[in-house]
Amino acid sequence: MLIIKDLHASIDDKKILNGINLSIKPGELHAIMGRNGSGKSTLANIIAGREDYEIESGSILFNGKDLLDQSPEDRALDGIFMSFQYPVVIPGVNNTYFLKAALNSKLKHQGLKEINAVDFMSLIREKLKQVDMNEKYLSRAVNDGFSGGEKKRNEILQMLTLEPTLSILDETDSGLDIDALKIVAKGVNNFRSKERSFLAITHYQRLLDYMKPDFIHVLIDGEIVKSGNSELAKELEEKGYSWLEK
Amino acid sequence: MTHYQEQLTSLLENSIEENEDIRSLRLNAFDSFKKIGFPTQKDEDWRFTNFSKIQNGYFRLSRPSDLPNNFKSPNLLNDQSYPIVIINGHYQPQLSKIPNGLSIFSGSNDFKSNPHSYAIDSNKPCSSKMKNPFYLLNTSLMNSGLSFEISENIKIEKPIEIFFYTSEIDEPIMNHPRFHFRLRKNSKATIIEHYRGQTKQSYFINTVSNFELEENAHLSHFRFQDESFHSNHTSFSGYTLNKYSNLNCNCLSIGSDLYRHNIKVDFKGPNGFARVNGLSLIDNNRHHDLNVIVNHLDNSCTSSQLFKFILSDSSTGVFNGKVIVDKDTFQTNANQTNRNLLLSPSSNMNSNPQLEIHAEDVKCSHGSTTGQIDPEALFYLRSRGISKQRAIELIVEGFAKEIFTNIKNDNFQSKINHKIGQWLESVSNHDKS
Ligand SMILES: Nc1ncnc2c1ncn2[C@@H]1O[C@H](COP(=O)(O)OP(=O)(O)O)[C@@H](O)[C@H]1O
Ligand SMILES: [Mg+2]
Repeated sequence: MLIIKDLHASIDDKKILNGINLSIKPGELHAIMGRNGSGKSTLANIIAGREDYEIESGSILFNGKDLLDQSPEDRALDGIFMSFQYPVVIPGVNNTYFLKAALNSKLKHQGLKEINAVDFMSLIREKLKQVDMNEKYLSRAVNDGFSGGEKKRNEILQMLTLEPTLSILDETDSGLDIDALKIVAKGVNNFRSKERSFLAITHYQRLLDYMKPDFIHVLIDGEIVKSGNSELAKELEEKGYSWLEK
Repeated sequence: MTHYQEQLTSLLENSIEENEDIRSLRLNAFDSFKKIGFPTQKDEDWRFTNFSKIQNGYFRLSRPSDLPNNFKSPNLLNDQSYPIVIINGHYQPQLSKIPNGLSIFSGSNDFKSNPHSYAIDSNKPCSSKMKNPFYLLNTSLMNSGLSFEISENIKIEKPIEIFFYTSEIDEPIMNHPRFHFRLRKNSKATIIEHYRGQTKQSYFINTVSNFELEENAHLSHFRFQDESFHSNHTSFSGYTLNKYSNLNCNCLSIGSDLYRHNIKVDFKGPNGFARVNGLSLIDNNRHHDLNVIVNHLDNSCTSSQLFKFILSDSSTGVFNGKVIVDKDTFQTNANQTNRNLLLSPSSNMNSNPQLEIHAEDVKCSHGSTTGQIDPEALFYLRSRGISKQRAIELIVEGFAKEIFTNIKNDNFQSKINHKIGQWLESVSNHDKS
């Protein structure tokens, strides 16, 4: 599904990714762990299509297609979704309106009929329940006046609504208390399927207690220095990252 | 200047039956105007705007023969409105509807009963330093307009919409409409001033609208400047707020090649409230200039200003706002915000919010920001599958809509949002061509 080959990227001449190799198959959940500043969000953003980065070399294939020369919206329409580490406030843009516009854009791309207001509301109410989110957040502007936890729920709500095939969760666990974390993890777990893949970025073991990853990768200075299974997360919990540094 | 002098002379010749006092008012006003002249780059309150197109233009006063014979019905902003229709400066009673509790007077009748409203010195429209030359020009050439009075205790639920329309014309004409709105004690009304033009000919409109709110009067005022892009529009809106009166003002300006609007709010009694919001949408190489003065002359008054400009192409905008708090007043609450969005690197905005506080017991805030579309917000929307153009539209609409959130009528609000959407669409087509 996703194949990243020897990806090197920089910003303002500062090298951030130093040859990332990663392959994610349908149905798999991969976790990326690493310290602050190791390049996790950069990797996520490059997959989602943020244009600020200079791709020096390497490639990303998504379902066999070269991803790097596609616009962010085309990537989204093809099934890529990123839950932002820092969701953006968009003043004056109503959250329901935004969600509906996004969903309709996707339906249109799939050659389906746009959803009407009534059907959309019943769909969204059902998704709200899954993330235990209050309906009042729908009538606000996107992420405007949302607490950190509410913003993260809003990200997951969007994921559940847009039904991507590859979901990148960039520190969706940070800013959540343990109850909220359980709810969000449950939402993600229910959403897992044979076709859907996940890339979960975190620096805490605790998220991985609730979402069982198939693979764990450790990112240090823009390089995957070690990959393994859930045992690796426990090891990192005990020993930290320094034993992996060169 | 000679041209405007000639226009005044011919106006006086063509209206010999006019009251002597009005005639001398016109002459006095023109004398004062001549002394000041058209604003120049040296005048602090005017320096970012070049008025040479008005100064050097040969606009003649509109005549009854300028009335089109094919005008059918006004294109109202609010279809619930009582229309007051004025075409090329001429009032059309047969197309107008007047609700109970509203009285309408012609300029000359109004002048007889309220001469003080026309005095050129008592109502200094600009900062104390200088008179407003366009106000004086309006007083000397006023050739159109009406006065309105809403009786005591009367509440008019539906809006009164003044539809001031300039039709297809062959020659460059001008109008100097003069409006007075008097809201008596405990009255309540919504007034829409709607300026619209559809002609490729250049024209000049120079309005003065004075609103007087008596004790506990409530006014919602919507000013919609939707002139053709060949117009030069200068305007003054003055509000006098007596005790416990309440003003909600929204301005939306889309049209005009050259636009200057002076707004002045005077709190003449305690416990008044004024919210004044405005949005300017500017494209091509057009220019909008807004000057707002809020004068806290009495105690316990609250004022709030929010003005936004959205500038496209190589358009330019000017915002000058001033809150003045008089000495020995107390419990003043005032805030003033100006936010501007540049859609193009060649657009340009000049913003200058000011506070002039002569009292101690005040809560004042002011601020101004000018920036481009937030790239984070744009990426966020696009990452959800929304096209770049649609995402820009959503962000700009979101930015614009905040100006009108105080309008409670949903239908009216969606009509306004539709106008904003239309403008945005036309502007994004500029980028493509
Ligand atoms: N837009 C940017 N401009 C400049 N430096 C950046 C930018 N984004 C990320 N960086 C730098 O790249 C490095 C990796 O950042 P990031 O990918 O956010 O790390 P992580 O998500 O692992 O904490 C950091 O040193 C950070 O300062
Ligand atoms: Mg990060």
